[in-house]
Amino acid sequence: MLKLTGRTETTGFASPVTDDVWRACAPGESAAAGTLACLVPAGERPTAGYGLYLIREARAPALPGPAILLGPDLAHIESGDIIHVAADGRRVTVLWKNSALHNGLLLTEQCDNYCLMCSQPPKDRDDSWLFHRARRVISLLPEGARSLSLTGGEPTLRADALIGLLEHCQQVAPRLSLHLLSNGRRFADPEFTRRYAAVGIADIMVGIPVYAPEPGLHDFIVQALGAFDETIHGILNLASLGQSVEIRVVIQRHTVPALVGLATFIARNLPFVGQVALMGLEMTGLARPNSALVWADPVDYQRELVEAVDILTTAGISTRIYNHQLCVLDRTLWPYAVRSISDWKNDYLEICQSCSVRDACGGVFTTSGNRLSQHLRPVR
Amino acid sequence: MIKLERASTTLAPYGWQLLPMRFHHLDADSAILTNMVGEHVFVTPDELVAVVDGSCVDQEVLARLRAAHLIQIPGETLPAELLAIKLRTKMRGLSDSTALHIFVVTLRCEHTCRYCQVSRQSSAKSEFDMTEETARRALELAFRSPSPRLKIEFQGGEPLLNFPLVRWITDEAKRMNSSHGKDLAFVIATNLALLDDEILDFCADEGVHISTSLDGPQELHNGNRRRPGQDSWQQAVAGIRRVQDRLGQDRVSALMTTTEASLAQASEIIDSYAELGLRGVFLRPISPYGFALRGRGGANYDVSRWLDFYATGLGRIVELNRQGVPMVEIYASIIAKKMLTNTDPGYVDLASPAGIGIGALVYNYDGGIYASDEGRMLAEMGDHTFKLGNVHDASYADVMLSDGLLNPLMESLALSAPMCATCAFETYCGADPVFHHATAGDFIGHKALSAFCQRNMGVFTLLLRMMRDDPYFRKLMRRWAQSC
Repeated sequence: MLKLTGRTETTGFASPVTDDVWRACAPGESAAAGTLACLVPAGERPTAGYGLYLIREARAPALPGPAILLGPDLAHIESGDIIHVAADGRRVTVLWKNSALHNGLLLTEQCDNYCLMCSQPPKDRDDSWLFHRARRVISLLPEGARSLSLTGGEPTLRADALIGLLEHCQQVAPRLSLHLLSNGRRFADPEFTRRYAAVGIADIMVGIPVYAPEPGLHDFIVQALGAFDETIHGILNLASLGQSVEIRVVIQRHTVPALVGLATFIARNLPFVGQVALMGLEMTGLARPNSALVWADPVDYQRELVEAVDILTTAGISTRIYNHQLCVLDRTLWPYAVRSISDWKNDYLEICQSCSVRDACGGVFTTSGNRLSQHLRPVR
Repeated sequence: MIKLERASTTLAPYGWQLLPMRFHHLDADSAILTNMVGEHVFVTPDELVAVVDGSCVDQEVLARLRAAHLIQIPGETLPAELLAIKLRTKMRGLSDSTALHIFVVTLRCEHTCRYCQVSRQSSAKSEFDMTEETARRALELAFRSPSPRLKIEFQGGEPLLNFPLVRWITDEAKRMNSSHGKDLAFVIATNLALLDDEILDFCADEGVHISTSLDGPQELHNGNRRRPGQDSWQQAVAGIRRVQDRLGQDRVSALMTTTEASLAQASEIIDSYAELGLRGVFLRPISPYGFALRGRGGANYDVSRWLDFYATGLGRIVELNRQGVPMVEIYASIIAKKMLTNTDPGYVDLASPAGIGIGALVYNYDGGIYASDEGRMLAEMGDHTFKLGNVHDASYADVMLSDGLLNPLMESLALSAPMCATCAFETYCGADPVFHHATAGDFIGHKALSAFCQRNMGVFTLLLRMMRDDPYFRKLMRRWAQSC
């Protein structure tokens, strides 16, 4: 597990630095660029000309500009990573970890759903600065950046900002593979979907949660009347314009009994989707206070999961299982399991040390605290 | 942390309306509801009544019906939109009419099968052979079909008795296809007795599929399928093995015909297929045409005995699958596709509109064009109802727009046929105007008296009960649905 944010100390921060988003670089990389922060190797004298210097050890030699001392938690920052620096230089947050497979940008914390198990509870406040920051990050993406998730909240709530951001992506990083997480409701508006498709990004997929095969249960889980209708219309609109869609199903207490029915519904009504992701609960955010309402131990739903996966895969739909530890997953499902927990929030337990499939397993969410399956055990 | 209580998203009594639905009582305590594209839900008879009269309070039942687009809240549009998409998908194949073109390259045969559906002719009489000129005209008609796929099936008689024409048609079809670019496939329907290396080489070179007849164990097969030397079974088995060795396991398939003698040997028939590594068995009833209607033709059994035979055979196939021997019952797989997917399998004998003409065209040795193979057999018995013309003087439009084709198609449409229109299994079933013409004297028949109806109702209810009761069979049906 990596720490992505941490307190830092500064030297030479007489006046606040002009920019808050920086890409870390090795000395020598086009010093002219004003948004590059030079990583100073131990014992070396940094080249002048950078707007910011990142050092890992307190030391005497004067630096040619403002510098930030990264503590041990942030020592992992390397060339290509993109960071946000607080105005006073006392806090650094990693926004893009170049070595990671998954990188995501939070675009807003607002949402028109209020899902019972939301891991990122919506906040109703103006956070339009997040879109500006995302734009800066995308501008700074290192050459060879491969994929990026855009998440929320609900990124489509601010339609113009999102379309603008996607157009920016298309301009500065046309080869980037994008994954947009959305509840899909906005796509029920054909005009918005048309604008989205018209951006013309070659490799973009929208991940849209569908929790039930009918409105009654779905609308309850997302706590919004009419959501199912809009979400399915949105998926149909996207498909009609040839846009790639992933369906995401979070498995929790209410979706377990509907899982087989949902798989049947998808196979029959939405067979064109690019992928279905069946996801284990991350017990954080709203899932904690709603724990009694949403928690389901994976061992208790293996029969439903096996049948759902069989229905989807026989229908030719690419199916993945996310966030499940292999030891609680039926062995026939292992080929579908993905090491999906981001490296900054996955961990292994003490009992995992002796597990023979530990390296193939995603481990557990550090964010889930103690709320884990009661049946985790090493696989021999 | 709840804004919206569960109760505020559930259905209140009388709060829903019925979408087009049909039902059937399977047992005393089980009924099935189907929608217009064949999605189905099992309920109890009491639940069915409560759903229909509006008093149902079982949210689990109501949710299943909503998910299957059998009920909706007034004002909802999504269920109808999704039903429309599914229906359109199911009907999509109709505009690509006539993928199967059957060439009767000769009527001659060296077998004298008891149930043969075409009048046999002695092997020496070449006036029963198709000529190149007839074949060329038939090919020209075939290539007029809008279908992007064309399957040319060589039939007889025994088509290998006129193998030079089989080769000629194959070459000519490929030549013509160079300007059409269709997906072209060839099948020879043969008893394999005349198989030799030249023919095998040809099949290997041209990617030809072999379809043969295997009625089951030796005694049963040879009893049905007579030929000099009484070695039909030996020839068929040796031939199947040769094709498998030379062309590959999946390049040969076999069909069986159920005679009265077969009825007690369902499992033995299945096992004889399994021993040969054949992965598909088509448990077919005998057709009420040709020699089968004669006393010794083998058709002296009623539908209920055939259904018992079918159930036993299907049970054996399921058992083999459980033991790890993959095998498909082809009729069940066709129905599985109709029950579990939005794709119509395009099987000509179980389609509505019927498969005649638009699913298959038959070119007889003499150039006569028939709407189906059974239509040709009726003609051999003197009934020319399904003859659509002759390749030597009919244009494509003459054939496809003829009253002889359009009338039976329109009249027999299951959606508007008495008793079919209200049947829960209408979307699984089909129209068979040839069968009903032959047995009832009109294209529709009276379904209460129709063996076609009785047989298919029996198969549908059997399959549904098995799917309801056995998760393994459900899983098998899902796989079978993708196999055809």
